[in-house]
Amino acid sequence: MSQPTIKEVLLNPIFNNNPIGLQILGICSALAVTSNLKTALVMSIALTLVTGFSNLFISMIRSQIPSSIRMIVQMVIIASLVIVVDQVLKAYAFSLSKQLSVFVGLIITNCIVMGRAEAFAMQNPPVLSFFDGIGNGLGYSAFLVALGIIRELFGAGKLMGYEIIPVVNDGGWYQPNGMLLLPPSAFFLIGLFIWAIRSWKKDQLEKPSFKMASQVSNKEAY
Amino acid sequence: MSSQKESTVRTLVVALLVCLVCSVFVAGAAIALKPTQVENRQLDKQRSILAIAGLGQPNMTGAQVKAMFSGTITAKLVDLETGTFSDAKDPMTFDPLKAAKDPKLSSALSSDDDIASIKRLERYTTVYVVEKDGQMDTLIMPVRGYGLWSTLYGFIAIKGDLNTVAGMGFYQHAETPGLGGEVDNPKWKDQWVGKTLFDDNGKLAVAVVKGGVDPKSPKAEHQVDALAGATLTSKGVDNLLNFWLGQNGFGPFIANLRAGEA
Amino acid sequence: MGIRAFLDKIEHNFEKGGKYEGWYALYEAIDTFFYRPGSVTKTTAHVRDGIDLKRMMITVWVCTFPAMFFGMWNTGYQANLIFSNSPELLAAQEGWRFALIGSLAGFDPNSLWDNFIQGAAYFLPVYAVTFIVGGFWEVLFASIRKHEVNEGFFVTSVLFALILPPSIPLWQVALGISFGVVIGKEVFGGTGKNFLNPALTGRAFLFFAYPAQLSGDAVWTAVDGYAGATSLSLAAAGGVENIMSNGITWMNAFVGTIQGSMGETSTLAILIGGGVLLITKIASWRIVSGVLLGMIGFSLLLNVLGSDTNPMFAMPWYWHLVVGGFAFGMFFMATDPVSSSMTNTGKWIFGALIGVMVVMIRVVNPAFPEGMMLAILFANLFAPLIDHFVVQANIKRRLARNV
Repeated sequence: MSQPTIKEVLLNPIFNNNPIGLQILGICSALAVTSNLKTALVMSIALTLVTGFSNLFISMIRSQIPSSIRMIVQMVIIASLVIVVDQVLKAYAFSLSKQLSVFVGLIITNCIVMGRAEAFAMQNPPVLSFFDGIGNGLGYSAFLVALGIIRELFGAGKLMGYEIIPVVNDGGWYQPNGMLLLPPSAFFLIGLFIWAIRSWKKDQLEKPSFKMASQVSNKEAY
Repeated sequence: MSSQKESTVRTLVVALLVCLVCSVFVAGAAIALKPTQVENRQLDKQRSILAIAGLGQPNMTGAQVKAMFSGTITAKLVDLETGTFSDAKDPMTFDPLKAAKDPKLSSALSSDDDIASIKRLERYTTVYVVEKDGQMDTLIMPVRGYGLWSTLYGFIAIKGDLNTVAGMGFYQHAETPGLGGEVDNPKWKDQWVGKTLFDDNGKLAVAVVKGGVDPKSPKAEHQVDALAGATLTSKGVDNLLNFWLGQNGFGPFIANLRAGEA
Repeated sequence: MGIRAFLDKIEHNFEKGGKYEGWYALYEAIDTFFYRPGSVTKTTAHVRDGIDLKRMMITVWVCTFPAMFFGMWNTGYQANLIFSNSPELLAAQEGWRFALIGSLAGFDPNSLWDNFIQGAAYFLPVYAVTFIVGGFWEVLFASIRKHEVNEGFFVTSVLFALILPPSIPLWQVALGISFGVVIGKEVFGGTGKNFLNPALTGRAFLFFAYPAQLSGDAVWTAVDGYAGATSLSLAAAGGVENIMSNGITWMNAFVGTIQGSMGETSTLAILIGGGVLLITKIASWRIVSGVLLGMIGFSLLLNVLGSDTNPMFAMPWYWHLVVGGFAFGMFFMATDPVSSSMTNTGKWIFGALIGVMVVMIRVVNPAFPEGMMLAILFANLFAPLIDHFVVQANIKRRLARNV
């Protein structure tokens, strides 16, 4: 197996192998924290850092970890990093950390972090693993930021809390779409993103699990 | 090599080492960041109190907020049972919300009394007093109560006459965006400013009314329009004000203040 | 046979290799609107029946006419009634609709013509927008996927228009039907593959996206600046007594001279259309009975249980039947052959689930006075599961018989 380059591990997860778009991981936090751009950005940075550094540390000690306790060791390292990130947020961005509530803590259970640690960092050298983590974090971030922009802009007429489109309630003309502020809207948006990505990159399409037999003979249809 | 790596002793050693390193790391971070966290938490609360009471500018720096707070505003502990100021706890560190869960510091409300659906009421709570020239200029009281989906947490600020509203708002809730969530709309909050809480007979008259306030009605000075399409959130706000300003809430305290006996 | 000859003459342009190959879907839609499709079954399934999807859908469409025409009259009647009671509101109205109505008719609530024109001025634009925008998506997807435009859209569009309040802004109508058709149906592969009713999906989208225009008291009449509660929100506030004290009798609610979504108010008109659907076996009588029995059973249970604080508990079943969108949902939405259960036993369960859920939402949930839309969508989600269990039970029973 040839070693992937840093550029590959960094850029592939953004469109070719997006953790949300293709692997459908990390959906929970993508629904919960994207109702405005600010929390989406902070969450993206937090997850990218945690994934990067957990990959780095795990890769550094990968040859020392006995396989029987490797999951627990990974969890301990990831959990420590997450707690530190949480503490830093509480110290320097208290109101944001209040909005993010449990979701920073839940990075511990985020499948992307665990998945990269187990699938990549356990087999690859530290620097490469670090960039793999950062790359996957960026892939996650790309989705979160896109969701955050759409949801905040069309749901509240604002970006980062600054008014972009004047909304009706404040005397403007735009009637904000309230559903975009509710978590389920992210489901629809993620679905539409995946649709768009797969129409663009056909190789990501899944094979249909069955094919229906044609029922009618129509002289020209199909 | 591999058999050596998987041995029990080695497994234990690795586990121990990883735990040790991580715990030192986490504990170090937690201790080092603690003071900043406490400060920021306080700052956040102070900022929302100032915003609700309509004091200062919206984009003040942390230092300005702190200066304003330490200069003009004092936190004071109120005994809700007797309706007087109290020294039982330190108002700077006392957390009324935590106290409401503590059976020693709170009491359960009967369902008839509990119009704001808060279940337990703390005995002591913290109010914030703004003084000017030795006189009470503004009194800021915490309120909370259930709306449609969530408990709304906020403050109501009243002027020195203990009747005129200086500001009202919520710093935490989870009502429907666009409907009940409009409690955060500055336009709606502005309606509160200048309303009076009590009628001429001293009875609590403040109310959120559905279908718009009739400006000709004599009660108009106590009333605020309900939020369009958010009947239950509006009702919740009405209930929580009636509770907190009523006999079980700050009612006795305000009466005592007026009589000069608090 | 002028049309047939014309269609045949231009047909070669739309076939493979023809000049307008890409427009085949549109050609086919027009062709089969006038004539029977020229296709025959080729594989194992042979059903000898004159009814096909097209005829079925057209029947449903025609069956909505009583509700639709009554709805137009009632929308106008409600508006004119308000105008005659408070002339200052009439003076305050403005806009293109108002000018149009003024030039064609007056504002007399006793005049059939005036009411009808007034209502039509609200319903027809909504319907037209639904049809054009929804039809655009339908033709777009059909063209890209190279299949025919499906008549199911006739039904979806009329149902969608009928369940909207009269005061809805037209751009929201366009957005709602787009969501209903694209997300509710086309992303899953088009008619027959969707698991939610597209019309309800569109309305649910609007309901959550723009709650101010689809709920509350101000939206149910065609009069700007007038707030009047629907019978359901009256009931939520004070039970049936509250409805009665606002001057609405059961007969009013049954005939439909009350405020509400444009096509949902008249249980009587819906019953006429729904009856035809039942007789022609297009609507499944099992689903309709299931919904009815579920609703009656659960509301009786709540009547017995009772509640001191919630007057809705005491609402009798015959009131549940005539207020809100219950009757319309029962006949036209729940019976959607694609998104409901397919098995006979499953249809009973599916129907009963809707009946129970609608009462549950109306009575227990404080946020939503009406529950029909959510109840049906909820049951839609369970339809495949219900079918699965029914089929499994059947297999087990047959296996046991053979031992």
